[in-house]
Amino acid sequence: MIELTVNKIENHIQNISNAISDWLQPDNMELKHAIDQTVEENLFSFQDIRHQVLHLKESLKKENLLKWAEQSNLKHNSLRGKKVICLHAGNLPLVGLQDFLAVLLTGGIYIGKISKKDPYLLPTFISACQKNGVLRDAVWSVNLEELHNSEGDFLLFAGSESTAQKVNEKMSRFRIIKPDAPKLMRTAHFSIAFITDNKPSTMESLTEAIFRYGGAGCRSVAIVVAPFHLDSEKCSFTDYIESFWLKNPQHEKPTPALFHRYACNKAVEISQAWLDDFLIEEQVMLPTEKFLLYWVKGDEKKLEEIVNQFGKGLQSIYSTGDFLLKNTGQFEMEDLSAAQKPPVWWKPDGVDSIAWLQGNIS
Amino acid sequence: MNKNPNLPDLIFDESISFRDRYREVFEYQVLKNPVYRKFAAVFGLNEDSNPDIHNIPLLPVRAFKKAKLFGDGLNPEIVFKSSGTSKMQRSTHYLADAGIYRKAIRKEFYRHFPRDEFSILSYTPGYSDNPDSSLIWMMNDLIANDPSGQSRFLPLNKKVTQKQVNPIVQKGNKILLFGAAFGLLDLADRKSIALPDGSVVVETGGMKTYRREISRQDLRNKLSDRFQVLVDSIYSEYGMCELLSQFYTDGTEWFGSPHWAHVTIRHADNPSLECRPGEEGKIGVIDLANLYSCPFILTDDKGIMDHQGRFKVLGRWNKNDLRGCNFLIDRD
Repeated sequence: MIELTVNKIENHIQNISNAISDWLQPDNMELKHAIDQTVEENLFSFQDIRHQVLHLKESLKKENLLKWAEQSNLKHNSLRGKKVICLHAGNLPLVGLQDFLAVLLTGGIYIGKISKKDPYLLPTFISACQKNGVLRDAVWSVNLEELHNSEGDFLLFAGSESTAQKVNEKMSRFRIIKPDAPKLMRTAHFSIAFITDNKPSTMESLTEAIFRYGGAGCRSVAIVVAPFHLDSEKCSFTDYIESFWLKNPQHEKPTPALFHRYACNKAVEISQAWLDDFLIEEQVMLPTEKFLLYWVKGDEKKLEEIVNQFGKGLQSIYSTGDFLLKNTGQFEMEDLSAAQKPPVWWKPDGVDSIAWLQGNIS
Repeated sequence: MNKNPNLPDLIFDESISFRDRYREVFEYQVLKNPVYRKFAAVFGLNEDSNPDIHNIPLLPVRAFKKAKLFGDGLNPEIVFKSSGTSKMQRSTHYLADAGIYRKAIRKEFYRHFPRDEFSILSYTPGYSDNPDSSLIWMMNDLIANDPSGQSRFLPLNKKVTQKQVNPIVQKGNKILLFGAAFGLLDLADRKSIALPDGSVVVETGGMKTYRREISRQDLRNKLSDRFQVLVDSIYSEYGMCELLSQFYTDGTEWFGSPHWAHVTIRHADNPSLECRPGEEGKIGVIDLANLYSCPFILTDDKGIMDHQGRFKVLGRWNKNDLRGCNFLIDRD
């Protein structure tokens, strides 16, 4: 009986894997058009989309899906007949894909609010899944109004404490979810890099971890804890950044408010590096602003202090070498070079979406 | 930075245009205040620039937490600190001339609430409990300056009694009850007496705490109901440790400015630009009473302005956690 269930899961994953493979074929014109349109409408840079698609090619391999299924104790069709509302963010290309996959793997009914900031990419994958027969009864739209009266059984979304209440009210008012529907809201909004050297490999990984997607997204590094002051590292670090920007021009530009911040820092003599499209400051606060990196000179003790202070909004801590898998507070340090290449089973806010969905079936 | 003996008189001299006054103060700041000089220089301004009022760069208020906005040549007469816990970084405001603060307080307060008409009951901690607070210093000064001698700090966590009110009424004065928003509501909940006719209530903000939040309209209605005073006798005061001038409402929710201050609403995305009336932005203040610290301030408060130049305070500017994977349902 158990074997039969395992076979069913494997078959299901095989079918999903086929859909992924079809979707990522170089001759998939639907995806190609979606990428072209996204770039044409200035929603994301081609380089950032390319990075994401290439990464997905690696991370969505069948063996990785099987690993996720095993880790999350996936049960065959565990969410059969259950509607899962996914409110997808649009700050990075295809950022909502993992939630979609979680619904797909559990056999739930996908009801997706596609972001107007990323309206073309994910629907091509949904379409590939439909063509491969792994998705039925799905509904998705960029307009929330079209999801009214969906009466979802679950809600998955990312937001801040301040938006959560509004989201909840709107979901209930328009009966998008049932009144008692469990909600998985992720609020983490930044990550920390803890480095202990300035080797080229470390600095290249650090640069990617900070500047990919213009610094947007909760996996992007907003605080660096390093054994050096910013001033001593500024020149060489700027070289790495320029080299990254040559290949990956920053798509979104900061508002003039960032220049005012630079001016204020200069006046009050905060050590900083002004990069026109980004600002690095040697101080630490809770990261809330875009295009802003905090640099702190310190060791593991300092890192722990910062984690204790700002842990609530923290997504991940990255490091290199000996520090990988070491714990700081409740966080296990992850590989800095994988900051923008999360495995398919990564847990936003420490919660496995599949395990959460299965654990909340009433 | 040396004191300029003419400037304290000049800033309060209404016969001189505001333009002439702020230009003198701007030049003085750029010459004598190293922090503001560096800030202005980033925008290409120096002592010869003579900028238009709209082009004066406003220093973010957080600068008071990061630097001593005060020249080497001056000696602070008083030092104020913003409220906050020991873990929080607090603003520090060094005053070179307490007389300027006193003058700013009294001139604007008495313009709204004449000295001979009102006695103050201040539901705030007393001066000895809060020597760092600019607000308590202000209340202490106003209480001490009441010619009837009936103004006082009220004991905290106790209701307002007839015994406290009677001597004021007997002297022919009206009552001005002053306090923070939730403090006043708590006071009302203690079964305080209804205030006599002609009384006014002045709340000084703090409408959002970690556990409670109330709109200014609701607050006004509640205070009016509970203290039995007309809703247009509920006033608000807008002030902060970093500003030596205060702003009062006119019986509505709109604040006016003293003649030595100028308020604008600035685009959060570009503080060099002013918002149109009705458009929300950050409150920017030119407060000439801040002569010796920094008079050109961009606050972190959210506000809007009407066509008459009055402004509303809408709370703290919320950064909306722009970094994260935020599903901004209202913007998407």
